Amino acid sequence: MLLVLSEEQKAHLGCLPRVGGAGLALSESWGTWRWSCCGAARRLRPVRRLPVRGKLNAGVDTVQHGVEGLMYLLTESSKLMISEMDFQDSIHVLGFSDELNKLLLQLYLDNRKEIRSILGELAPKLPSYHSLEWRLDVQLASRSLRQQIKPAVTMKLHLNDNEDLTTQVLQTDPSTLLHLIQQLEQALGEMKTNHCRRIARNMK
Amino acid sequence: MELSAYAQGGCRLLGDPRRLSRRAYAALLRAAFRGVLQPRGGVADPELSDVDPAVLKQCHAAAAACILEAGRQRADRAALSACLEECKLDRERIEQFCTEYQKHREALEELLGSIGRAPPHVTDVSWHLAYRIQTHELHRAYQPTYLLTLSTENSDAGSQPDLSFSCTMEQLQFQRTTLLYSRKTDLVGKLKDAAKSLERATQL
Repeated sequence: MLLVLSEEQKAHLGCLPRVGGAGLALSESWGTWRWSCCGAARRLRPVRRLPVRGKLNAGVDTVQHGVEGLMYLLTESSKLMISEMDFQDSIHVLGFSDELNKLLLQLYLDNRKEIRSILGELAPKLPSYHSLEWRLDVQLASRSLRQQIKPAVTMKLHLNDNEDLTTQVLQTDPSTLLHLIQQLEQALGEMKTNHCRRIARNMK
Repeated sequence: MELSAYAQGGCRLLGDPRRLSRRAYAALLRAAFRGVLQPRGGVADPELSDVDPAVLKQCHAAAAACILEAGRQRADRAALSACLEECKLDRERIEQFCTEYQKHREALEELLGSIGRAPPHVTDVSWHLAYRIQTHELHRAYQPTYLLTLSTENSDAGSQPDLSFSCTMEQLQFQRTTLLYSRKTDLVGKLKDAAKSLERATQL
């Protein structure tokens, strides 16, 4: 699968040979930093504030466009998980020197894993499990009933809902607890069945 | 077992054959237990149509108070008959009361035990397993994902919305070998810990 770049993106990336390998290395160091910090929004901070600009010997707009182009190149390639060969063929149209192409390839291969993990976090999310705390109690009496022996498992469920941690306090009885465990173990076992394994294998 | 003055007065009326015939007494006893255990059912009974409504009201209130107090204190047969004897009920009527009480004792304790505030009670878990293929930001994002729904119910607030959240396979149960010394965070592991502790506690 080849990556198709628009004329505008090609023009943006065109500044790379001018700023040279040193510029690329610098771009890389704060490019990845930016992915981690602004990954979710994929928004660039104004380049003016960046310390590298002076060293690149180029205008603000040129640097900003160059970095945006580079980020697009790396993000899209990582998103599509394109192969080494396809990546090389995709950047071939830019007409860069072999040395620069090699640098770009290395940049892609070195950062692909991290970029993919950041992109993976951007999936539409339901509240997801974070952790669980539990406590064991025996209720001994209440206003309406004396002399009880009622075991109870109190659970505090922490969920991650769009980066916010929420908690839910729940309670259950011993037999339901065993039932829950049994059900969840069945759920885990399901992934090991031939049906699920076949689907998973054929997808890859 | 202590009753209020009004209830004691009512109990004395209960034992008065001139106010309440034997058949009316039996009908009133049934109606009182029904009124406590199934509050939505009416008290109407043809056997009671001849009884003076004011007497009927006080007798019914007294019987209900006596039933609830006995249930609350988990009174045994002896304690209940002692209390009724004080109110001058005859042997036969006391015997009848105690027999009805024994018959409904379990349901009564269950009802009284369920009164009061408690966190939502988990009654069941349902799950489905999906295999994630791709997201808008990431192709080939292969990963099994579970969606769990905890069914809960609440004794006072009536129905409670179910609690749904997603969970990866590792969050459900991670491989112990890779994380030997770190704290457990997986759901099934935690629930199993709770079940184990519960088992130990019941052996004490």
